[in-house]
Amino acid sequence: MTATPIETVPIASPTETVGDPDTEDINTTDRPWLVIVWNDPVNLMSYVVYVFQKLFGYSREKATRLMMQVHHEGKAVVSDGNREKAEADVARLHGYGLWATMEHPS
Amino acid sequence: MSPVLKKKRGGLELTLSTEERDLLRALQTELRALYEAGPDDADPIRSRLFPRAYLDPTAEDAEREWRELVHPELVRDRMAALDQLLASLEPTPGARGRIVLTLEGESIDALLSVLNDARLALGTRLGVTDDIDDDELYPDHPLAPEIAVYSWLTYLEGLLVDTLLGDMPD
Repeated sequence: MTATPIETVPIASPTETVGDPDTEDINTTDRPWLVIVWNDPVNLMSYVVYVFQKLFGYSREKATRLMMQVHHEGKAVVSDGNREKAEADVARLHGYGLWATMEHPS
Repeated sequence: MSPVLKKKRGGLELTLSTEERDLLRALQTELRALYEAGPDDADPIRSRLFPRAYLDPTAEDAEREWRELVHPELVRDRMAALDQLLASLEPTPGARGRIVLTLEGESIDALLSVLNDARLALGTRLGVTDDIDDDELYPDHPLAPEIAVYSWLTYLEGLLVDTLLGDMPD
């Protein structure tokens, strides 16, 4: 069984919206919310790849890399954005039975 | 050997035994009861089907607001998947003792949703920690029936996901 989630420094997050001076409504000192998928012993690895591709439109390579990160490191940041987007992404992941949470790095 | 999954133009064809059809019906009944019961952080299965969004225990207000916003839709979609699967399982002409289902679009998504949630619920109940060893399938194991169902679900979902991934772009 997967260990109880522990607070750790986020491993990585997409950087497209971070510090981009051309992006509207983004305060560069305000970090995005991170959507995290946690490892669990039930979901099939192939299924997790399928969900990442289907929900986020990721390439097979990126979806597989994220799935392997979840599998080996226990979790991975799979998307980010403002609070509303993160809440919606978490709900969509739950709809597919993935164990997802959101957090705001401070 | 059953189940058998084949690609058909515009969809999939799934062949089941009548026993497997009855098993899917029984599983959807169990899932329906879990969905109706709703989230419960103290219940391992229901908290696995309906996890928290906010890990931060001080974010209870945000968690409650989020749950009130999304939970009805999460339940509605899952109930719709159960209904769709039940409709797919209606008797169809076929070889005696075999059920041939033609699935496309929403009925494929519905089958995947039910298989995955059934695995989550059963895997949580069984305390699955890793791949189940085949020797646990020995008939004298006290949980042998549940383990056999879990293995069957894993096999069928694996077939389905591999087929769906084959149709997705690299």
